[in-house]
This record gives sequence, C-alpha cells and structure tokens, in this order.
Amino acid sequence: MSDAHAAGETTERNLVETINETLAAEMRTDDSVRLLGYDIGPIGGVYRTTDGLIDEFGDERVIDTPLSENGVLGTAVGMAMRGERVVPEIQFMGFFYPAFGQFMYTLVKMHERSGGNVDVPLTVRMVCGGGVKSSEYHSESTESYLVHTPGVRVVYPSGPREAKGLLAASIRHDDPVVFMEHKKLYRTHREPVPDEEYTLPLDEARVAREGEDVTVVSWGAMVREAEQAADAVDADVEILDLRTLSPLDIETVLDSVKKTGRCVVFHEARRTLGLGAELTAVVNEYAFDRLLAPVQRATGYDVHFPGNQIEGEYLPDAQRAKYAIEAVMGYEF
Amino acid sequence: MALWSEERPSEDFYRVLAPDGTLVGDPPDLDDDELRELYWTMKLTRAFEDKALRMQRSGEVSIISRCRGEEATPLGAAAALSPGDWCFPLYRQRSGLVYWGVPLDRQLANLMGAEPETIDEHLPLDDATEPPVNFSPGYVPLGANLPNTVGSALTDKLNDRDTVSLTFVGDGSTSQGDFHDALNFAGVFEVPAVFICQNNQWAISVPAHRQTASETFAEKSDAYGVPNERVDGNDIFAVYEKATEAVERARNGEGPTFIECVTYRIVEHNTADEPSVYRDEEQREYWLERDPIDRYEAYLLAEGVLTDDDIDAMEDEITEEVASAVATARDVPESAPHRMFDNHLRGESWNESHQRAELQRELDGKNPFVDWTGEGFE
Repeated sequence: MSDAHAAGETTERNLVETINETLAAEMRTDDSVRLLGYDIGPIGGVYRTTDGLIDEFGDERVIDTPLSENGVLGTAVGMAMRGERVVPEIQFMGFFYPAFGQFMYTLVKMHERSGGNVDVPLTVRMVCGGGVKSSEYHSESTESYLVHTPGVRVVYPSGPREAKGLLAASIRHDDPVVFMEHKKLYRTHREPVPDEEYTLPLDEARVAREGEDVTVVSWGAMVREAEQAADAVDADVEILDLRTLSPLDIETVLDSVKKTGRCVVFHEARRTLGLGAELTAVVNEYAFDRLLAPVQRATGYDVHFPGNQIEGEYLPDAQRAKYAIEAVMGYEF
Repeated sequence: MALWSEERPSEDFYRVLAPDGTLVGDPPDLDDDELRELYWTMKLTRAFEDKALRMQRSGEVSIISRCRGEEATPLGAAAALSPGDWCFPLYRQRSGLVYWGVPLDRQLANLMGAEPETIDEHLPLDDATEPPVNFSPGYVPLGANLPNTVGSALTDKLNDRDTVSLTFVGDGSTSQGDFHDALNFAGVFEVPAVFICQNNQWAISVPAHRQTASETFAEKSDAYGVPNERVDGNDIFAVYEKATEAVERARNGEGPTFIECVTYRIVEHNTADEPSVYRDEEQREYWLERDPIDRYEAYLLAEGVLTDDDIDAMEDEITEEVASAVATARDVPESAPHRMFDNHLRGESWNESHQRAELQRELDGKNPFVDWTGEGFE
C-alpha cells in the first residue's frame, strides 16, 4: 500500500517511537535485517531509537561495533553484498566524514561497478540536524554531499507518519539508502501514525499543503517551520515536503511552481551548493517564463554550525521562511 | 641503494622452495596435475599480461597493472580457497583470478574499457564458465576492499556457514585507515577471513620503509589480536601452505589470519609509470633472480613433474589461449554511450530520463538545451 494509509486506526507517536517500532517490525518479518553501529545495544542508542531491540533480537541482530564509522559502513556494505539487509547507524552526521571513503568507494559504487550483478541493500540511518544545543559536529545538515553522489537514495522524513512508511520502504529496497533522522524531530512532535504497516514511495515528494500563490520547497524539520510561516503570512502557500532528496521529484516541483509562479526553497543546510542551489537552477531552467519573482533561498548561513548561544540565529525558522515568502510575494518586475 | 627497499629482516620468513628451486622445507601435499596447474596458471597469467601490455602500447588497452614477478602470492592464496568461498581482489592479483577460471576474454574486455554490462551482454557467464569461487569486482581504491571482506565474513559467521572470505592488501595500502578498521573489526568479531599482504615493496615510487616504522608488515596484526605469518611471497609452496592453514583456521571457526607475503614489483606500477626515475636497476636484478616461475620450474624439472618438452607444449597452448581471448575480446563492440546511466538506482528518475534524452540529442547532433518546460524536447 502507499499514500492511501490515512484511513484506519492511528496512535499518537513521536519519531523515536516510530523508528523503534518500524525497525522491530522489519526485523520480525525479515531475518536478514541486522542493525550495526555503536551504542545501539544495551543502551538502546543515544537517542533510544533502538531501545529494547537487543532484548528481543539478540546481539547477532543488534550488533554493537568498535567506534569507527568507516568500519561500520565498510562492514555493512560487505554484509549487504552477501544479501543481508543491514541497517547501520551513524550516530551523528558530523562523524560520518571518516566513513566518506567507504561511502564513495563501495556503498554508492558496488552495484554500478558490478554491472548490476551485486546489490547493496542497506539503509544507513543518519542522525542529523541542529537545534538541540549540542557540542560541535553534533548538528550537521550536509545532505548535499550525499545528494551530489549518484548510486544512493537519500530519504528525509518530516515527521513520524512519513518516517514509518519511508523507513520500511528503505529497508525493503534493493538500492542503498541513506535515511536522515533530524534529531530535533525525535521528541518535539507527536502526530497520529497509522497502526497498520505501510510503505511510501522513495522517489515522490508530498504536497504538504495546497496553495495558489507561492511554493515553498522543504524537507525534514523545516517542513513544520514552513507550515507555521504559511499560517502567519498573508498568502496562499503551497508546501512541498520532498521526502526523498535523491532522486529528486522534479516533476512535482515544476508542477507546483508553474501553478504558483513563485518559489522559496527552505532548508537548514548551508546555502552555497545546498540543495536549494539545484532546485533553483531546475526552476530557472524549466519554469523561467512562469516565474513572477526570482526564486529565494531561506537557508542556514555559509558557516560552521555555531555554538549553543547563537545557534537559534543560525537556524532557519518560520520567521525566516515568512520573510522569504513575503519578499517573493512583494516582488514587482 | 639497498637490495631491499625496506630496512628490516630480509629473508627471515617461511620458505619451502629456495630461489634456485631446491627444497628447504616440506612441499604441500599436491599431486602432479595440481603441481602443473599452478605452473600453468603463473605462465598463462604472465603471457596474458604481457600481451595486454603490448595492446596498451598499441592503444587497445588503456592501462594495466601487471603482477609480473609476484604471481606466486595471489595464486598461492587463491588456490587455498574452495568453491563457494569469496575473494575480494584489488588489481594486481590476476594469477588468483586465472586460477579460478575468471575468463581471460572478460578480463581483457575490462582492460579495454568495456562497461560491465557490455561484457555481460557479449561474453556472458554461464554454468560452465562461472568461476566456482565468488570474486567481487576488483577494487581500485586501495584498502576499500578490506572492510567489505570483514562484512562478508561476518555474514557467514552469523549465518553459521563455513564459507571463507579472503582478501589482499599491498604494503602501501596498510597505511590506509580502511586497513586498520578492517583488522580491528576482524579481530573483535573473530570473522572467518584471511588477509594477504602482498608486500611488493613499492607503492608506485614510495618504498616500503616509508610506509611504516614497524619491523615487518606481518606484526601489524598483533595489535588487533589477529595471528600472522610472514612468508616468501615468491615461493608458491610457502604461500599456498600458509594460506591453506589460514583458510582452514577460518573455516573451523578459529578466526582471521594475516599473512605478509614478501615479493617485489619488478615491473612498473602501471603503464603510466617509469620506475627508473626512482629506483636502481641493481635492486630489480636482485629480485629477478628470485622470480617465482623460474624457481618453481627448476623444481618441477628436477622432480620430473615437467620436462622441457612439456614446457614447450604448454607455451604453445598458452599462446593459443591468449590469442583466442584477444580475438573474442576484440569482437566485443564498443559500449553504447547510454550504458553510463545503467545500474545506478532502480527505476528511472526524472533526471536520468532527461539526461538520457540530452545525451541522445548530442549523439544525434541536436542541441540538448532547448527544453524550456521540462516536458521534453519535441
């Protein structure tokens, strides 16, 4: 089943509970699903997303490893090459960088270099994002590094309901997937999540809100900020939740912008070569004569993620999105 | 310049067959056919790579890294495996691939730059030609194969299979983080893996003593709790025996082993390299006298396993086999440009579809930048 999951019984869930329950459900139905990472065992993950899983599935399914992201990813790729649906966890995206070697050399390349003969059906859970006043390299949003690389899907849920279907689909998919989990979403938001199992497509954006005046393209934690901005602004805002950053659902973006004639890209990542650059270029290339205003990018600044006292001023929020929406609404040729 | 590129114990290693072909230890328990097959494999590998080198000079092959003078190490290691086992090679292990029957024409088509899909289409593997040992695609980024090997071995351990995963690392690539990750994970999880260090003493132009301050490469695995051996890498018996012991240990659930095989890169790193710039001919000549084929041939002749006539006949067969591989590889048509898009992600994304169309327009001599709506070109 797909998007038609709105009917039926639901339960209020936050993202941590949803991730935990979805991992457990997939592990119950497929013995080849194994979790790999450090602190995922008895402690249940530093954010408790794997809480209790080692008790149910044992230490051969929930495998605590030495402290090396590159070792985790390289081992996971080798397991995936042999048919295991491995779910390695990168505890913080800022510590992913030592694993970039295995990411570039094997994870994204093995299927292609083998002429399609070797699959790498793993799902890397990547804990990302800022706004929880943590220490350095604990707040990264560097998804552009991933999206620039062919051969991997990059999936980014905006909340528990999306996360359930997207995570199940990612684990079951034969392509390698990086599944982004914004840590600020873990416990700040609860919503009704359907009790029944479902998957969501890994290449389709979601129209989170329909509107006629301006398109806000967003993903992850920024979708809720965009919704607040839309409530506060004097315009009929359409909000796209990309859900999958690679491959991009360009059709949905173009359809929306051609309808509204205005576009704001709204992301937490730094601006330069953030995904907003790509989206702006695509809109420019294929919807130029439908635009009523230049595309604006409401993003983070081109700096290292700042310290706790001023991270709030770095992070894009509803106010920044509102300014961008108002700017493009007020633009005159 | 020293005759060894390393300042460490020279011939303090396990050896069965001296450079002159005399036995200094116990030979492995192999019958005459098996002994001849090892010889044949090294000779065929060398002839094949020399042919590929000539094809590189004439422009048919873009680049090749030969294992000339090192054939005994990958061969002795790979020959220790059994059908169903896994091997994760780099690019200088061709004798191991040849031993298990990875078809020469497919190898050559790869060297000629054919896309893997093109090779599968025109030179498909079938039940008769599928190698009984599973080979991963060869890795060019050095060291990247090592953590994958650990994952492969861990999978077999977790599934209670007695399969073994074997892999190779050069002297240079022991300096990579991947090497340390892999040996560390292998030790912690006690996986059924065998790591072969093909120490040919040169990483392009950088000598082995610039890779490490350790006395030997073998001892590096001590730190990870992985037992090790150091063998004469130009002695097919020594490599085979120690690799066989390591494979048996792995298969019996006794964990990983690290084996340093001391050899020497008597040829260029690859066809873009010129060794005379950075090393003495004297050193190379020293190692030429320790050639793995020469010493093994002397042994087989002395034992009566081979005669000069046998060798002549074999060389004729080898020439034919190489010529046949060259002919079939040359028959593989150029890869279609659209192959570059194949096997990235399943399904066809908007971008893939659009870029395929753009490429087609370029191929047709049409401007690919005239889709102003994203709805296509016509």
